[in-house]
Amino acid sequence: MRARDPETRRPADTTDFPYSIYLPEAARVLNVNPMTELDSLFELELESGRALGHAPGQFVQVSVFGFGECPISISSSPTRGPRFELSIRRVGEVTNALHRLRSGDSVGIRGPLGHGFDVRELHGHDMLVIAGGCALAPARSLIQYVLDERQRFGSFHVLYGARSPNELLFRDELARWGQRDDVHCHVIVDHADESWRGRAGVVTKLFDELPELDRERTMVAVIGPPIMFRFVMLEVLALGIPQNHVYCSIERRMKCGIGKCGHCQANDVYVCMEGPVFKYGRLKALREAIE
Amino acid sequence: MLDGIISHQELLRRIDALRVERRLIGPVARVEPECMPPVRYFYQPVERADELALDFTYCVQSPKAVLLPPAEPLLRFDRESGKFRAGPVIDHTPTALIGVHPCDVHAIELLDAVFSNGNADGHYLARRRSLFIVAVDCPEPCTEGVFCRDMETHETDRGFDVILYRLDADRRYGVVFASDAGRAWLNPSLSSGGMRTPNSDDERTFIRYRQNKERAFEPRLPMPRRELPEMMARSYDSLLWEATAQRCYSCGSCNLACPTCYCFDIRDENELNGGGCRLREWDACMARDFALVAGGHNFRAKPGQRLRHRLYRKAAWIEAQTGLHGCVGCARCDRACTAKISIVEMLGQLAEEVQHAGTRP
Repeated sequence: MRARDPETRRPADTTDFPYSIYLPEAARVLNVNPMTELDSLFELELESGRALGHAPGQFVQVSVFGFGECPISISSSPTRGPRFELSIRRVGEVTNALHRLRSGDSVGIRGPLGHGFDVRELHGHDMLVIAGGCALAPARSLIQYVLDERQRFGSFHVLYGARSPNELLFRDELARWGQRDDVHCHVIVDHADESWRGRAGVVTKLFDELPELDRERTMVAVIGPPIMFRFVMLEVLALGIPQNHVYCSIERRMKCGIGKCGHCQANDVYVCMEGPVFKYGRLKALREAIE
Repeated sequence: MLDGIISHQELLRRIDALRVERRLIGPVARVEPECMPPVRYFYQPVERADELALDFTYCVQSPKAVLLPPAEPLLRFDRESGKFRAGPVIDHTPTALIGVHPCDVHAIELLDAVFSNGNADGHYLARRRSLFIVAVDCPEPCTEGVFCRDMETHETDRGFDVILYRLDADRRYGVVFASDAGRAWLNPSLSSGGMRTPNSDDERTFIRYRQNKERAFEPRLPMPRRELPEMMARSYDSLLWEATAQRCYSCGSCNLACPTCYCFDIRDENELNGGGCRLREWDACMARDFALVAGGHNFRAKPGQRLRHRLYRKAAWIEAQTGLHGCVGCARCDRACTAKISIVEMLGQLAEEVQHAGTRP
């Protein structure tokens, strides 16, 4: 007798799974601009010509075959057309391989992944964006978005802190934002050097630069390393801003980016699916999120 | 209600018939006098049905490796400089997995849910759809230390193609079908006499079998399974995590042995010819670097935090996410632990702690 299982009698290339969810799309490197000793800004375009279609705060998995894949947040706003930018710090094998690429080379891209900022919820509000360290990379996507859709927003404040002047990302843009009168951008460094003419100290010091904010009208985005959250949140809550007006983006090492591999879990939450952008109220319930 | 009665000889003939179209994997006895116990069972590919030990106690490793291999290529790529050439690797090998106890059937159901929820994982699902499962019920606990009765996984009525109940010592099996494929495989009308429809005596024997089984499995936890999530919710700040984890070597043996642990890593492997694979490999949340991020911050740097994370998943979170058992009570983690940490003992200790903390809020 023979087993007759119609399920498995189909040819091996069944149409049910024509592709792998782990298969990246090809993207071309258009430009690589060094920003610091370790960070470069990569401008990319999907070879299909398709726009990435992301929201500020989302991320992609970037591949260099033979080296691997790593999660990188998207630094440019979806309002800037089909090209997109990634700020990449070389710290590991994959990011070092990325830094060896030149314009014209190909990389793999999966995404956009995760849950970013619900920009429609932000429309019509005053905005306060607070970023620390490399987190200006994801924050820049939102900052660009607000600047490109300026008429949809009220007053706009950006506070950015880095360890030292050498580690500031997007220096040229920071300078330009500093000169515009439709955004109030303040920068501080922990450790100043002779070249530094700005303020020195932790990012929370910059709160004294803020005018009186309209508590009900202001939406806040906090993006930074875990240590920054606690101190920044104290200041934000002290301003009397309602907790449901505060968004936080948190860092995790996503391997699959699709809610399976387990690496990005904060307690019971897969950050790659529900985050990396969360409402503060949600994060409070996740003890591991920012501890 | 049984669908059929089959003799041992006829069963072996039918399994051999499956071999024509499928590779066979099932429990095989390995005799190693220097090991404890000296006879242990492992899921292995076999050529003939009589190599299988269908009366096995338990398999040291769970059958998850059949569906989620310890290392599997997801993609193949060509590493020519600057060029992008890659394609998926999907495994459709028709396979029959013979001899899965109810606890492991429950575990496979969980894997099915995880890999089909949301972003369907074609690598897993292709293998799953090519898999024919013959479950074998346990008349009594397979070994000491299991707590499948507490987890309500000592029996099952779905998640397989056929289940076999060993009704008596002459190795006569009661058969229940759960799929058309299963029914087609053991179709009584194709029988040379070893497979027949059950009569009223058989049904009475089956009722006795189930009564005996009910008595043979005893609960080991002080509370029913449905109360575990609430108990866990009250245990987050317990000192037991850190105290118990002082013994933990962070080796991840519990993760590897666990039939419901599915977390994985993805990494590239290069071949000398310029090609290579993107591999998926089992990973372990108990390993030190599991929650490490690029900047160097480790979100679960302490062994106690990792132990807490694993137990919360098993006793509360996975069930909240999928509606299915996060732990099936097989106690493989307890047996595999190099530091003799026992999940069932820990659950008991936490329960005691919560009870001592007074009445519920």
